[in-house]
Amino acid sequence: MNTETTTSEYILLFRGAQWDRGLSTDELQQAMDKVMAWFEGLNERGKIKSAQPLGGQGRVISGTDGRFVVDGPFTETKEAVGGYLVLQAETLNEAVEVARSMPTLRYGVSVEVRPILAECPIIQRHPELVRRAIHPVAEQLLVAAAA
Amino acid sequence: MSTTTKSDYLLLFRGNVWDRELSAAQLQKVVSDWMAWFERLKAEGKCAGGHPLEDEGKVVSGKQRMVADGPFAESKEAIGGYFYLTVADENEAIEIAKQCPGLEYGSVVEVRPVADVCSIKERAEEYSKRELAAARA
Repeated sequence: MNTETTTSEYILLFRGAQWDRGLSTDELQQAMDKVMAWFEGLNERGKIKSAQPLGGQGRVISGTDGRFVVDGPFTETKEAVGGYLVLQAETLNEAVEVARSMPTLRYGVSVEVRPILAECPIIQRHPELVRRAIHPVAEQLLVAAAA
Repeated sequence: MSTTTKSDYLLLFRGNVWDRELSAAQLQKVVSDWMAWFERLKAEGKCAGGHPLEDEGKVVSGKQRMVADGPFAESKEAIGGYFYLTVADENEAIEIAKQCPGLEYGSVVEVRPVADVCSIKERAEEYSKRELAAARA
Protein backbone atom coordinates (compact mmCIF):
# COMPACT_ATOMS: atom_id res chain seq x y z
CA MET A 1 0.00 0.00 0.00
CA ASN A 2 1.30 3.39 -0.90
CA THR A 3 1.57 5.39 2.28
CA GLU A 4 2.89 8.51 0.60
CA THR A 5 -0.55 9.64 -0.39
CA THR A 6 -0.33 13.13 -1.71
CA THR A 7 -3.35 15.30 -1.79
CA SER A 8 -3.14 18.79 -0.48
CA GLU A 9 -5.93 18.48 2.06
CA TYR A 10 -6.46 16.16 4.97
CA ILE A 11 -9.21 16.11 7.54
CA LEU A 12 -8.34 15.47 11.17
CA LEU A 13 -11.30 14.05 13.06
CA PHE A 14 -10.95 14.42 16.82
CA ARG A 15 -12.56 11.48 18.56
CA GLY A 16 -13.45 11.37 22.24
CA ALA A 17 -15.20 14.59 23.22
CA GLN A 18 -15.16 14.08 26.98
CA TRP A 19 -11.42 13.98 27.61
CA ASP A 20 -11.63 16.87 30.07
CA ARG A 21 -13.69 14.93 32.62
CA GLY A 22 -11.60 14.12 35.64
CA LEU A 23 -9.01 16.85 35.11
CA SER A 24 -8.48 19.52 37.74
CA THR A 25 -9.08 23.16 36.82
CA ASP A 26 -5.33 23.75 36.57
CA GLU A 27 -4.76 20.73 34.38
CA LEU A 28 -7.66 21.69 32.17
CA GLN A 29 -6.49 25.28 31.87
CA GLN A 30 -3.00 24.13 30.92
CA ALA A 31 -4.36 21.65 28.42
CA MET A 32 -6.58 24.29 26.82
CA ASP A 33 -3.69 26.75 26.64
CA LYS A 34 -1.61 24.11 24.87
CA VAL A 35 -4.44 23.33 22.47
CA MET A 36 -4.90 27.00 21.62
CA ALA A 37 -1.14 27.48 21.13
CA TRP A 38 -1.01 24.39 18.92
CA PHE A 39 -3.91 25.67 16.87
CA GLU A 40 -2.50 29.21 16.54
CA GLY A 41 0.89 27.83 15.52
CA LEU A 42 -0.65 25.83 12.67
CA ASN A 43 -2.83 28.74 11.69
CA GLU A 44 0.12 31.14 11.49
CA ARG A 45 1.91 28.70 9.21
CA GLY A 46 -1.13 28.68 6.93
CA LYS A 47 -1.82 25.01 7.54
CA ILE A 48 -5.45 25.28 8.57
CA LYS A 49 -8.13 25.59 5.96
CA SER A 50 -11.02 25.32 8.39
CA ALA A 51 -11.73 23.92 11.83
CA GLN A 52 -14.80 23.69 14.03
CA PRO A 53 -15.90 22.02 17.20
CA LEU A 54 -19.16 20.10 16.88
CA GLY A 55 -22.11 20.37 19.23
CA GLY A 56 -22.87 17.33 21.35
CA GLN A 57 -26.47 17.16 20.25
CA GLY A 58 -27.36 15.86 16.83
CA ARG A 59 -29.28 13.18 14.97
CA VAL A 60 -28.46 10.02 13.11
CA ILE A 61 -30.54 9.33 10.00
CA SER A 62 -30.82 5.94 8.33
CA GLY A 63 -33.13 3.79 6.23
CA THR A 64 -34.84 4.38 2.91
CA ASP A 65 -36.04 7.98 2.64
CA GLY A 66 -34.53 8.61 6.05
CA ARG A 67 -37.33 6.89 7.91
CA PHE A 68 -35.24 6.38 11.04
CA VAL A 69 -34.16 9.49 12.91
CA VAL A 70 -32.58 8.93 16.31
CA ASP A 71 -30.87 11.17 18.81
CA GLY A 72 -27.15 10.89 18.70
CA PRO A 73 -24.32 10.63 18.19
CA PHE A 74 -23.21 9.60 21.59
CA THR A 75 -20.65 12.06 22.74
CA GLU A 76 -19.99 10.05 25.87
CA THR A 77 -18.29 7.43 23.73
CA LYS A 78 -14.64 7.47 22.80
CA GLU A 79 -15.51 7.17 19.14
CA ALA A 80 -17.75 10.23 18.90
CA VAL A 81 -16.33 12.99 16.74
CA GLY A 82 -16.00 16.17 18.81
CA GLY A 83 -14.53 18.40 16.14
CA TYR A 84 -12.52 18.51 12.98
CA LEU A 85 -9.75 20.38 11.26
CA VAL A 86 -9.10 20.59 7.53
CA LEU A 87 -5.35 20.66 7.13
CA GLN A 88 -3.18 21.70 4.21
CA ALA A 89 -0.30 19.27 4.04
CA GLU A 90 2.02 17.88 1.39
CA THR A 91 1.74 14.24 2.36
CA LEU A 92 -0.16 11.89 4.63
CA ASN A 93 3.01 11.64 6.73
CA GLU A 94 3.07 15.37 7.27
CA ALA A 95 -0.59 15.30 8.29
CA VAL A 96 0.13 12.43 10.70
CA GLU A 97 3.02 14.39 12.24
CA VAL A 98 0.68 17.32 12.84
CA ALA A 99 -1.82 14.94 14.45
CA ARG A 100 0.94 13.54 16.68
CA SER A 101 1.67 17.02 17.99
CA MET A 102 -1.92 17.44 19.17
CA PRO A 103 -1.76 18.17 22.94
CA THR A 104 -4.85 16.25 24.10
CA LEU A 105 -3.69 12.83 22.90
CA ARG A 106 -2.34 12.23 26.40
CA TYR A 107 -5.86 12.62 27.80
CA GLY A 108 -7.33 9.93 25.58
CA VAL A 109 -8.36 11.84 22.48
CA SER A 110 -7.58 10.04 19.24
CA VAL A 111 -7.16 11.70 15.88
CA GLU A 112 -8.30 10.14 12.64
CA VAL A 113 -6.33 11.46 9.66
CA ARG A 114 -8.02 11.09 6.28
CA PRO A 115 -7.07 12.35 2.84
CA ILE A 116 -9.80 14.49 1.29
CA LEU A 117 -10.68 13.44 -2.23
CA ALA A 118 -11.77 15.53 -5.16
CA GLU A 119 -13.69 12.58 -6.52
CA CYS A 120 -15.93 9.99 -4.88
CA PRO A 121 -14.22 6.60 -4.27
CA ILE A 122 -17.30 4.82 -5.61
CA ILE A 123 -16.67 6.57 -8.89
CA GLN A 124 -13.00 5.57 -8.73
CA ARG A 125 -14.01 1.93 -8.26
CA HIS A 126 -16.35 2.07 -11.24
CA PRO A 127 -14.78 4.44 -13.74
CA GLU A 128 -17.00 3.14 -16.53
CA LEU A 129 -20.04 4.66 -14.81
CA VAL A 130 -18.72 8.05 -14.14
CA ARG A 131 -18.49 9.76 -17.39
CA ARG A 132 -22.04 8.90 -18.27
CA ALA A 133 -23.37 9.67 -14.82
CA ILE A 134 -21.79 12.99 -14.19
CA HIS A 135 -20.73 14.48 -17.43
CA PRO A 136 -23.38 13.44 -19.92
CA VAL A 137 -22.83 16.58 -21.94
CA ALA A 138 -19.05 16.25 -21.89
CA GLU A 139 -19.44 12.61 -22.87
CA GLN A 140 -21.58 13.57 -25.84
CA LEU A 141 -19.01 16.15 -26.88
CA LEU A 142 -16.21 13.59 -26.62
CA VAL A 143 -18.19 11.12 -28.69
CA ALA A 144 -18.95 13.83 -31.23
CA ALA A 145 -15.31 14.91 -31.33
CA ALA A 146 -14.13 11.33 -31.83
CA ALA A 147 -16.60 10.71 -34.67
CA MET B 1 -31.84 20.81 25.63
CA SER B 2 -33.44 19.83 22.37
CA THR B 3 -33.61 22.82 20.08
CA THR B 4 -30.68 24.63 18.67
CA THR B 5 -30.79 27.73 16.50
CA LYS B 6 -27.35 27.24 15.00
CA SER B 7 -27.37 27.62 11.28
CA ASP B 8 -24.36 25.47 10.38
CA TYR B 9 -24.50 21.70 10.36
CA LEU B 10 -22.14 18.98 9.30
CA LEU B 11 -23.54 15.89 7.59
CA LEU B 12 -21.21 12.95 8.11
CA PHE B 13 -21.87 10.06 5.71
CA ARG B 14 -21.19 6.78 7.42
CA GLY B 15 -20.60 3.44 5.77
CA ASN B 16 -18.42 2.93 2.73
CA VAL B 17 -19.36 -0.58 1.67
CA TRP B 18 -23.00 -0.07 0.78
CA ASP B 19 -22.25 0.25 -2.93
CA ARG B 20 -20.59 -3.16 -3.23
CA GLU B 21 -23.74 -5.19 -3.90
CA LEU B 22 -25.41 -2.79 -6.28
CA SER B 23 -25.98 -3.47 -9.95
CA ALA B 24 -24.39 -1.18 -12.52
CA ALA B 25 -27.75 0.47 -13.12
CA GLN B 26 -28.38 1.04 -9.40
CA LEU B 27 -24.88 2.39 -8.97
CA GLN B 28 -25.28 4.67 -11.94
CA LYS B 29 -28.49 6.04 -10.48
CA VAL B 30 -27.25 6.56 -6.93
CA VAL B 31 -24.07 8.28 -8.10
CA SER B 32 -25.88 10.66 -10.42
CA ASP B 33 -28.63 11.28 -7.83
CA TRP B 34 -25.96 12.08 -5.24
CA MET B 35 -24.18 14.52 -7.51
CA ALA B 36 -27.46 16.17 -8.51
CA TRP B 37 -28.41 16.46 -4.82
CA PHE B 38 -25.06 18.06 -3.96
CA GLU B 39 -25.26 20.47 -6.91
CA ARG B 40 -28.83 21.44 -6.03
CA LEU B 41 -27.96 22.15 -2.39
CA LYS B 42 -25.01 24.27 -3.49
CA ALA B 43 -27.18 26.16 -5.99
CA GLU B 44 -29.75 26.80 -3.25
CA GLY B 45 -27.01 28.18 -1.02
CA LYS B 46 -27.61 25.48 1.57
CA CYS B 47 -24.35 23.62 1.15
CA ALA B 48 -21.05 25.46 1.48
CA GLY B 49 -19.03 22.45 0.39
CA GLY B 50 -18.39 18.80 0.81
CA HIS B 51 -15.89 16.10 0.04
CA PRO B 52 -15.52 12.37 -0.09
CA LEU B 53 -12.70 10.93 2.01
CA GLU B 54 -10.20 8.34 0.91
CA ASP B 55 -10.62 4.89 2.46
CA GLU B 56 -7.04 4.86 3.66
CA GLY B 57 -5.80 6.99 6.52
CA LYS B 58 -4.28 6.80 9.99
CA VAL B 59 -5.40 6.93 13.59
CA VAL B 60 -3.13 8.69 16.08
CA SER B 61 -3.68 8.02 19.78
CA GLY B 62 -2.22 7.79 23.27
CA LYS B 63 0.60 9.35 25.23
CA GLN B 64 3.04 7.44 23.03
CA ARG B 65 1.42 9.02 20.00
CA MET B 66 0.96 5.72 18.26
CA VAL B 67 0.09 5.72 14.61
CA ALA B 68 -2.08 2.91 13.26
CA ASP B 69 -3.67 2.21 9.91
CA GLY B 70 -7.31 3.14 10.09
CA PRO B 71 -9.96 0.45 9.62
CA PHE B 72 -11.81 2.54 7.09
CA ALA B 73 -11.93 0.21 4.12
CA GLU B 74 -14.81 -2.04 5.14
CA SER B 75 -16.96 -0.53 7.81
CA LYS B 76 -20.53 0.56 8.40
CA GLU B 77 -19.35 3.24 10.83
CA ALA B 78 -16.47 4.67 8.80
CA ILE B 79 -17.00 8.21 7.63
CA GLY B 80 -16.92 8.25 3.85
CA GLY B 81 -17.50 11.93 3.28
CA TYR B 82 -19.21 15.07 4.52
CA PHE B 83 -21.31 18.10 3.55
CA TYR B 84 -21.15 21.46 5.31
CA LEU B 85 -24.69 22.88 5.48
CA THR B 86 -25.86 26.40 6.17
CA VAL B 87 -29.56 26.16 6.91
CA ALA B 88 -32.31 27.75 9.00
CA ASP B 89 -32.48 25.17 11.76
CA GLU B 90 -31.93 21.57 12.76
CA ASN B 91 -35.17 20.42 11.15
CA GLU B 92 -34.03 21.68 7.79
CA ALA B 93 -30.70 19.90 8.20
CA ILE B 94 -32.55 16.67 9.08
CA GLU B 95 -34.88 17.05 6.10
CA ILE B 96 -31.85 17.44 3.83
CA ALA B 97 -30.17 14.42 5.41
CA LYS B 98 -33.30 12.38 4.67
CA GLN B 99 -32.80 13.12 0.97
CA CYS B 100 -29.44 11.33 0.88
CA PRO B 101 -29.60 8.87 -2.04
CA GLY B 102 -27.41 6.32 -0.23
CA LEU B 103 -29.89 5.81 2.64
CA GLU B 104 -31.90 3.10 0.91
CA TYR B 105 -28.74 1.05 0.47
CA GLY B 106 -27.63 1.29 4.10
CA SER B 107 -25.69 4.53 4.23
CA VAL B 108 -26.17 6.41 7.53
CA VAL B 109 -26.08 10.20 7.90
CA GLU B 110 -24.98 11.87 11.11
CA VAL B 111 -26.26 15.44 11.52
CA ARG B 112 -24.16 17.59 13.85
CA PRO B 113 -24.49 21.26 14.74
CA VAL B 114 -21.26 23.16 14.22
CA ALA B 115 -20.38 24.93 17.48
CA ASP B 116 -18.99 28.44 17.79
CA VAL B 117 -17.08 27.65 20.91
CA CYS B 118 -15.54 24.38 21.96
CA SER B 119 -17.65 22.81 24.72
CA ILE B 120 -14.51 21.87 26.65
CA LYS B 121 -13.30 25.46 26.55
CA GLU B 122 -16.69 26.50 27.93
CA ARG B 123 -16.40 23.94 30.70
CA ALA B 124 -12.88 25.13 31.49
CA GLU B 125 -14.14 28.69 31.83
CA GLU B 126 -17.04 27.50 33.93
CA TYR B 127 -14.67 25.67 36.31
CA SER B 128 -12.46 28.74 36.62
CA LYS B 129 -15.44 30.94 37.45
CA ARG B 130 -16.66 28.50 40.06
CA GLU B 131 -13.23 28.30 41.63
CA LEU B 132 -12.92 32.07 41.71
CA ALA B 133 -16.34 32.32 43.36
CA ALA B 134 -15.35 29.69 45.91
CA ALA B 135 -12.10 31.52 46.65
CA ARG B 136 -13.98 34.77 47.24
CA ALA B 137 -16.56 33.15 49.51
